Amino acid sequence: MKRVMFWVAIVIILLVFLLPIAWVYVTSLKSPADIFRPEKLAFAPTFYNYKYIATVRPSLMEFRNALIVSVLSTALVMAVSLPAAYSFARFNTGGGHLLFITISTRMFPGVVAAVPFFFLYRNLGLLDTHLGLILLYLYFNMSFATFLLYGFFREIPEELERSAMVDGYGRLAIFRKIIFPLIKPGAAITTVFCLIFAWNEFFFAFLFTRRLARTVAVGLAVFWGSIEIQWGPMAALMALAILPTLAAAWFMQRFIIRGLTFGAVKG
Amino acid sequence: MRERVSVEARRTFWRILAADRYIRWFLVLPLLVVLSCFMFYPLFYSLYMSFHEYVLRAPPLFIGPENYRMVLHDREFWQAIGRTFYVLAVCIAVELSLGMGIALLLNREFKGQNTIRGLCLLPLLISPLAMSLMWNYMLHVQFGIVNQVLVWLGLGAVEWISNPKIALYSIMLISIWQWTPFSIFVLLAGLRGLPKDALEAARVDGASRWFTFRKLILSMLTPLIIIIILLRTMWLIRLFDPLYGTTRGGVGTESLDWFMYRISFVFFDVGKGSAMALFSLYVTIVLCAILYRQLIKALGAAK
Repeated sequence: MKRVMFWVAIVIILLVFLLPIAWVYVTSLKSPADIFRPEKLAFAPTFYNYKYIATVRPSLMEFRNALIVSVLSTALVMAVSLPAAYSFARFNTGGGHLLFITISTRMFPGVVAAVPFFFLYRNLGLLDTHLGLILLYLYFNMSFATFLLYGFFREIPEELERSAMVDGYGRLAIFRKIIFPLIKPGAAITTVFCLIFAWNEFFFAFLFTRRLARTVAVGLAVFWGSIEIQWGPMAALMALAILPTLAAAWFMQRFIIRGLTFGAVKG
Repeated sequence: MRERVSVEARRTFWRILAADRYIRWFLVLPLLVVLSCFMFYPLFYSLYMSFHEYVLRAPPLFIGPENYRMVLHDREFWQAIGRTFYVLAVCIAVELSLGMGIALLLNREFKGQNTIRGLCLLPLLISPLAMSLMWNYMLHVQFGIVNQVLVWLGLGAVEWISNPKIALYSIMLISIWQWTPFSIFVLLAGLRGLPKDALEAARVDGASRWFTFRKLILSMLTPLIIIIILLRTMWLIRLFDPLYGTTRGGVGTESLDWFMYRISFVFFDVGKGSAMALFSLYVTIVLCAILYRQLIKALGAAK
């Protein structure tokens, strides 16, 4: 009986979490008439919406933009955050204050950064460019990445490094042979998180890109016109925009088994 | 000869750098550079503009603390703040309780455990804008599937998005749906890291389940709970996407971030917008500093 209850609970939880996502795909296959009859499940599937976003309002550019921006910004974030997080974790650089300041950038209301940078970008000609958005995402993701990596670095016992040093290893060798292999899973998770955040980010993309560097998230909003919302094509674009994040989820699942502890709780 | 000196000099340079005292600063240097550009520039710009009247047409005009006076007397501003904090409290409370419940449920061995745990995390990873647009479609008063089901059950349709009394709760619903997995994720990781022997000892001593949960599990997970509250506070204070996907700030749902966005980017009242942004930043920092201190304290206790 208890087992039955357990599985009923699991099924309900999964339904609540997954049905809205499944609904994106269901809706994307509906014809314009069926869109307004959501209860009709036995509809004739059509690729009308997908054809629409391929031809009537091409969206390929938006995918390319989102890909460029998220990959390059994530590379920059890791280049900045990995050494910094190591320094915070191992040397307690800045006595905790610097780490707090870094984290606190994440609690800036978006507007605090958006207004000054809007005018700065306008003067520098960075509005609606990949570079402009990449730099913003560097700032946007850096604090979270540093925070996560800080936790992972703290999990590596200091004694390992000490004994390696006693054995005559140099700093570089220690980094390459001991720290890097141990931090790899944590760094992978952080990378994926940054990629997803950049891919999904809407606020800055919406304010700082118009046409040329527009990302998928902004492309979605465009279907909400002044007259009507084009649910069908919007769902089709969503269905495609979600795919990379679903792939990332599949990738992360392996690491969840290991258990992401944020370095905070140790048994 | 000169070559040898330069080699020697370079070696000394690297040796100095490799000394703990310097390498730690060398490692955070890139971060410091980015921080100072992206943090201090906007801060000083906003500080400067907040003492000026600047609505784009004329150059900035110094008006002293007039903007702050206006902001502090702006009823809409206070309403937006109150609303944001209300959303904050409700969402975090619900997410934490749901997350803890589900994490306890998932924290056992069962068939397909990894797949099911992975599936529970999906909402977290999907574009908030996309999902709020999807929820808007599903909650539509006429052709939304949710109302269709409610009508079919004989409960009657609900004006999820268009009723000012309900719209804010719909936005919370979307937020909670999307972010409960975050609590599950963190708490589940914490539960799996708990020392098995302590729990076993409690069981042998005949402690009740509720007692074990309250005294042992909850106290050991306190740092993680504070981390969740801290991060969710930071993210929820900038509540924007779910609004854009549903009410667009209307129907009594305007959050702080949306209000500031409207002042700065729709009315282009940069001076007032800056004053507002700085004020809300101040509130946020105080709030998060308190939480951060709690976190450090809890971390010290957990050790």
